[in-house]
Amino acid sequence: MVRDTGGTRPVTATVTLDDIGSRVAAAAAGGRALRIAGRGTWLDAGGPVEAGETLSLASYSGIVDYVPGDLTITVRAGTPLTEIASATREHGQWLPLDPPGSPDGTIGATVATGSYGPLATAFGRPRDQVLGLESVSGTGEVITVGSRVVKNVAGFDLTRLLVGSWGTLGVITQLTLRLRARNDVERSAGIVVPERGRKLAAVLAAARAARIAPLALELLDPSVAHRLGLPAETVLLARFGGNSESVTAQLAELAALGQSFAAPDDCWDRLRALDADATATLRFSTPLADLPILWDALADGATGGQELLRHATVMRGIVRCLVQAPAGSARSLDDVLTGIARPLESARLIPERLGNAWSRIAGASIDDPISRRVKLAFDPANVLNPGILGESP
Amino acid sequence: MSLNAEPARPSGGDYTLDPALARKLAEIVGGTHVLSRQSQLLVYNSDGLPGYRRQPSLAVFPGTRDEVIDVVRALHEAGAPFVPRGAGTGLSGGALADGIVLLGLNRLKRILDIDVENRTATVEPGVVNLSLNRAVGPKGLLYAPDPSSEAACTIGGNVAENAGGPHCLKYGVTLNHILAVKAVLPDGSIVQLGDEVSDRAGYDLVGAFVGSEGCFGVALEITVRLLKKPEVIRTMLADFLTVDGGARATSAIIASGIVPAALEFLDGPTTRVVESSIYAAGYPTDAEAILLVELDGLLDGIDEDVDRVRRICMDAGARTVRVARDDAERLKLWQGRKKAFGAMGRLAPHLVVQDAVVPRTKIPEILAAIHGISQKHGVLVCNIFHAGDGNLHPNIPYNADDVEQSERVHQAMREIMGVCIAAGGTITGEHGVGLDKIGYMEKIFTPNSLAAMCRLREVFDPERRSNPGKVVPLHSCREWYATPAGRGR
Ligand SMILES: Cc1cc2nc3c(=O)[nH]c(=O)nc-3n(C[C@H](O)[C@H](O)[C@@H](O)COP(=O)(O)OP(=O)(O)OC[C@H]3O[C@@H](n4cnc5c(N)ncnc54)[C@H](O)[C@@H]3O)c2cc1C
Ligand SMILES: Cc1cc2nc3c(=O)[nH]c(=O)nc-3n(C[C@H](O)[C@H](O)[C@H](O)COP(=O)(O)OP(=O)(O)OC[C@H]3O[C@@H](n4cnc5c(N)ncnc54)[C@H](O)[C@@H]3O)c2cc1C
Repeated sequence: MVRDTGGTRPVTATVTLDDIGSRVAAAAAGGRALRIAGRGTWLDAGGPVEAGETLSLASYSGIVDYVPGDLTITVRAGTPLTEIASATREHGQWLPLDPPGSPDGTIGATVATGSYGPLATAFGRPRDQVLGLESVSGTGEVITVGSRVVKNVAGFDLTRLLVGSWGTLGVITQLTLRLRARNDVERSAGIVVPERGRKLAAVLAAARAARIAPLALELLDPSVAHRLGLPAETVLLARFGGNSESVTAQLAELAALGQSFAAPDDCWDRLRALDADATATLRFSTPLADLPILWDALADGATGGQELLRHATVMRGIVRCLVQAPAGSARSLDDVLTGIARPLESARLIPERLGNAWSRIAGASIDDPISRRVKLAFDPANVLNPGILGESP
Repeated sequence: MSLNAEPARPSGGDYTLDPALARKLAEIVGGTHVLSRQSQLLVYNSDGLPGYRRQPSLAVFPGTRDEVIDVVRALHEAGAPFVPRGAGTGLSGGALADGIVLLGLNRLKRILDIDVENRTATVEPGVVNLSLNRAVGPKGLLYAPDPSSEAACTIGGNVAENAGGPHCLKYGVTLNHILAVKAVLPDGSIVQLGDEVSDRAGYDLVGAFVGSEGCFGVALEITVRLLKKPEVIRTMLADFLTVDGGARATSAIIASGIVPAALEFLDGPTTRVVESSIYAAGYPTDAEAILLVELDGLLDGIDEDVDRVRRICMDAGARTVRVARDDAERLKLWQGRKKAFGAMGRLAPHLVVQDAVVPRTKIPEILAAIHGISQKHGVLVCNIFHAGDGNLHPNIPYNADDVEQSERVHQAMREIMGVCIAAGGTITGEHGVGLDKIGYMEKIFTPNSLAAMCRLREVFDPERRSNPGKVVPLHSCREWYATPAGRGR
């Protein structure tokens, strides 16, 4: 078995569900691990995978069923997000899922990694948007759970289990997602806020209590704001949708909280593309009220020359932190991560792009007894993405 | 009496109660909280769904979380199967114990914590849904899931059933509002699933537990996410002379981009039953479809949306669209909806309530098919449902003691479910599978998928002692048959 960190490796295109099933079954029978891939835009995510073969879903793509009147869409896992966006746009609809990274990434990978972005403020995470899915378990069996209707409680919820399981419980092959109709009017605006401390906390609390219902509400540090073409200050960036009266009133309400400015529509795309060259990405989840404390602690932890970019989804208590270690820096990535990984007791570190440092820094995330039994129940031979969640073998 | 092709299996299997167990449990919870006389147990032989009667052999009602844990450990030692039960309002026979132990959680009513800043609350499982809202409401907060049974059902039962309700169209079902569950597994071990933060690494075990219908263990403590209460609420009533008009308006509202807080549909028979009852809400009795549309949110712009919904309804053929002027009128409009099941009690002693979900665009043709089926079998079907979600609730009032009539009712229900399944729908959107729908599971899931569900269950309850015989047909659980316990059947 070779250690595979995303370099050259044999890739076989998979065309049919049967292919995928038999590939996995054969791997399980032969005790060979498989690395699952979508378009490969983010293969180094999570922890390193020990696998000699890659199972690519990239060519297993396309829209299987889309009934605009039902606001649901069924797609193969290899379908790029861009394809879903253009098919739904024609009907004034969208899949409000804006994970960081390339819009060419596949829906299967987005769901498998549970990736989401600022729109989670109003629309939730993939957990809340996937209605049903089909997957191939570690024994090669096809399992279909959920359905294509918007509400379903028939049977035990394997859908939720597969979302965010990083391919360790099954290869996701097909998904049904809930779409939304687009609003008539959409506008983005920002306000300049205090950089840190109690003053910042007060503004965030005021924003949460304000008469606004933003689609997204993101706190940006000055470097991030600058990269988005906004003033190079600490900024609270909001995205509003609705009818014009509602949007106008919300913009005014936001402006009452600080010095405001209109933001260009493309700033959200720029935010998604931000970490193209980050060395590591950390994501933290905190109770809402602790977010300012974490925000400050991360800034304090970043010493030693590396650049740190922070942005936070205020209504969800999520802070993302992109580390750009300067080339030739004396400090290793491990040191950097150790410095900032445990700034707050109540925060949870969620695996993003940490590479080899992941298991040491974050600790194993599926090593509790229940999670181990879950893994064993669906991938008894441990062939699917082994090691990616930093679990012990 | 089963409504399905497959008769429900006795859930207790060969289990016989050891008298020593009753004594042991009485030591833990006190003698008055253990019931073992047949006459006392009669109260627990059904839940919200008539037609099934299953009598527990023993019922135990712990008063604290520690007592629950001790009870579960005692049951484990005795190898005794049991059924957790909240308020018993379930509509799929899920909380019925057949000759086994019933574990009542309705004494655990404490709200442990309301964290205004972080917008969370932590409660014991027996807290009634509405009392949580009564507690958080004055703080400007809202627990969104609102099953029509909110005045009685428990948060533990809501979690177990992944309950929905009229306002789930905008706010999502129970799953979308649960952050963490502390549970005691059938072997007596305590597990903490999730925590107070909204996202975390690792498998979504909270997501797996929600909706597990009491088959994974007993929820002891539940942390929910609270929302800010909406600033304003506007409730309107649109009435149509045709079912089709109501269905068209439903689709058009959803397509407009406006997400109503609720979008409920009552057909002519339902409206007439409600209006002839003490719950009369002023619905027009000559309408064939009534839509109850609620918009909520910020004050600014809401009237523009109200006007838009009004126009959409008129364009789809509504006769009138009335907006409630005040809270009293609003509550009255809702009362008719929320008490419709009760109102149907006037027509016949029993009521079958179904709970299928269909693609929204198929609603008109499915309602037409349901009408045809009702005519064919000479039964009255009252349709009242969460139209925005496509979550149908066909109801048939009947007399379960009339054998011939019951048979017609059951046949009609089976055909209705068949139509919903054929349209790409599912067999339950909020009431759960329980005992009632287990016979349909093989119609919508493959053997592999059912076996996978069994494997998930076994992660939490390998001996299948918590709510045995529910949700997934036993013969689907291939591994189960391979175990000594399974071979015994
Ligand atoms: C520059 C960049 C930065 C990114 N940063 C982040 C980030 O910070 N946070 C974040 O959450 N996401 C991030 N992403 C990921 C991205 O948003 C989505 O995960 C997705 O769009 C990647 O698509 P892909 O098809 O290229 O996935 P790939 O790179 O092919 O795969 C990504 C992961 O998903 C698994 N996977 C892929 N397909 C399946 C499947 N069908 N079934 C099971 N497992 C599967 C793979 O094993 C791998 O672990 C980033 C992407 C890029 C390009
Ligand atoms: C008039 C009426 C209207 C209704 N309207 C709706 C509606 O709009 N939406 C909806 O979703 N449902 C509705 N229901 C169904 C029912 O009220 C819900 O399913 C509710 O969630 C059940 O709660 P309960 O406390 O009564 O649970 P019970 O009926 O006591 O139990 C239901 C299931 O939950 C399990 N359970 C209970 N407590 C626990 C616990 N602490 N840990 C583990 N398992 C547990 C039981 O084993 C059983 O399987 C309605 C019922 C009635 C009678």
